[in-house]
Order: sequence, then structure tokens, then C-alpha cells
Amino acid sequence: MPVYNRERYVGSALRSLLRQCDDADLDIIVVDDGSTDASAETVRSLIEQAPCIRLFQQANMGVTKARNTGLRQLLPETRLISFLDSDDISPAGRFRADLACFAADPDLDLTYSRMTLIDSLDDETQEPAADSHSITVRGIHLSAGIFARSLVERIGGFDEDFSQAEDTDYLLRVFESGPRFLMPDTVALYYRRHPGNMTKEKNVPFREFMRAIHKSIKRRKANPSLHAVDGIFDFKDLAHWRFL
Amino acid sequence: MQQLVYAVASKDIVFESFDGEAVVLDLSTGKYFGFSDSGSRVWEALSSGVAAHALVGQTAGTSTIRLAELESFISQLLEFGLLAPAADAAAQPISGALLAELADTSEPLKVDIHDDLADLIVVDPIHEVEEPLGWPAVKQAS
Repeated sequence: MPVYNRERYVGSALRSLLRQCDDADLDIIVVDDGSTDASAETVRSLIEQAPCIRLFQQANMGVTKARNTGLRQLLPETRLISFLDSDDISPAGRFRADLACFAADPDLDLTYSRMTLIDSLDDETQEPAADSHSITVRGIHLSAGIFARSLVERIGGFDEDFSQAEDTDYLLRVFESGPRFLMPDTVALYYRRHPGNMTKEKNVPFREFMRAIHKSIKRRKANPSLHAVDGIFDFKDLAHWRFL
Repeated sequence: MQQLVYAVASKDIVFESFDGEAVVLDLSTGKYFGFSDSGSRVWEALSSGVAAHALVGQTAGTSTIRLAELESFISQLLEFGLLAPAADAAAQPISGALLAELADTSEPLKVDIHDDLADLIVVDPIHEVEEPLGWPAVKQAS
């Protein structure tokens, strides 16, 4: 979990993982990317109760490098890897549901599940608020995935040329590599919409997104053994939504 | 046709340049258009209002751009819905820098279509949120 100035949300994000400690033996790697607010203190106060959280701090370098810092901290015994952003929520039962797929198939590389985009979460229950609006899709999000360690090692790190859309680029590289994967219907993420979402900035994100698409097409042109990324992402339903 | 000035056909046509390669997306269909090096320069010129005839005879790599070749390229861009004639627009001058880049190319005029990532391009729920419209006022597939 990369964190940058998310004191308002990081505690909730971590608690959403801690409530799943009975479902998975979690090692939670938090990389504080030079926050200037109380994000790190918030994380430290949780570590007192939950030593499975490990905090690493660095000068601000952007989300891509922060993710790579996190990957470098994997424990030797870690078999499976997932990601959670510091303003999102991991739904209760998310790990239990998809870990069963790995238990049933030892050669599985990846589960890629669904996400719910939501405008209001109940802080207490960490479930959608009664008056919330939401939509569930199979989108482009690292939290949708649980990745086998061997797959993560094969793919390599996040491409540090990307200031954003590093997640799109990473997922395209994962699927191009032809992993053995399943697409469960699990809701793997509550993606929170709030005024500070970094992807709301104009222009830069879309250029970076276009670059990820461009690089995927170039890679596959140069190397025909790479797989087409077809029939995985499905957010057609979003086209019917206008205002919430 | 070679006298004409063109403009980008609609607001669904977005383009960027990466390491000198033009990339054009049609957000309404999710199609990706990739260009050769000379195609990238010509796209850049035409989409910024340079008249087609200003390109004829210009040096592109080891040859010069021929009228027939340019017409065929432009007719593809029109057919794909990337450009549209802009009859009333004043032609823009072609920059010396762009001419130098064109001279430095090595591939013929070419544009390729890819539609295998259309699912991502048509509606990207995370990256394509238009702020003034509220959320999620995503791009409507038409």
C-alpha cells in the first residue's frame, strides 16, 4: 500500500485488511511516500495493535516508485501478492473467496475479480452507505488481482517511466504474459470516489493511459508470442451511467 | 483535394505523440491508430491545419512525398473518421522543425488500426472521468 497524504483514509484502508486476518496470513507493507500530514503516525498507531503491518518511509517519489519499494520488501515466504490503495477498502471476505481458487489449483497464477465504484462508504461497517451510489465492474485495478509470487517475479517491477497509469501498464504486461488465471465474481475492492483522487487531475492521466495502451501494442507487435488482452476488462455497464 | 485544409474530425478523436510516434484513439469505437514515422509527421501537420498541398514534394527520408501517395493516405484518415475537411479554415504554415523531422524519417506513409484493446479505450472508469460532469459521467459509447 503506497500512501501519500491520506491521513483521512489510510486507517480505514488498513482496518479493512486487518479484519481479514483470519482468512489469510497477511504481511501488510505500507510505503509512506514522503507524506507531510499525519499518514505515517496513523499507520504507526495501528502497528501497535497489528504487527503484521510494516511501514517503510521514503522521500516523495511518486506512486510508481512507492509500489516498487513495496515489492522489494516482500518476505521470502510470501506466496501471493495483492495491492490496496490508501483510500480504498478491501471488502470483508475478499481474500477468503479468491484464496480458495489458489487452494484448488496450485498452478494458478492470478485471480482477477471485480470492483465496486462507490461515492459513500459507512466508516463503521466499511460497507456501502445506505444512500450511496455504486456500480460493479471488472475494471482496471491492481486490487482486483491476487498475483502468485512467481508471476510477480516474472513480470518485474512497475515501469518507473510512468508517473500514472503504471497500474494499467502492469496489468497489460501481466495479461500479455499469458498467465493461468481465473475471473471470479468476487467484489475485490470498494473504490472510493472523493475530492482527492489523484486520477481526477486533467490531461496527465489520460496521456499516461494512452501511453500504456501504446506500449502494449508495440510490445505485441515486436513479440508475437505475447498474448492479446481480450475479454478481461468489462465495464460496458458504466456507459449507461451518467449522473449519480 | 490536395488544396484542402483538414481538422480533427470530432472530440472523440484524441491524439498524443510518444517518442515521435503519433497515436490516435477514437474514444467512440475504442480503435487505436498507430502511425509510421513519416505518417506521424504528416498527421501532426494535417491535424494542426497545414494544407495538404504544402506537404507534396517535401523530403521524407530518401524520397519526396508524392501527391498520389498523400491523397491515398489522407483518404484513409477521412475514411477512418480521424480527419474531416475544414473548408473555411485558414491554412497554417508548416514549421521548419516539422519539415526537418519529416526529412529524417525512414518509413512510408502508413496508419495501422488495432481494436483489440477497445474494451479499455471506450470506457475507462478510473482514468476517463470528466470532472465538470460529476461522477461517474463516463464517456458514452455511441
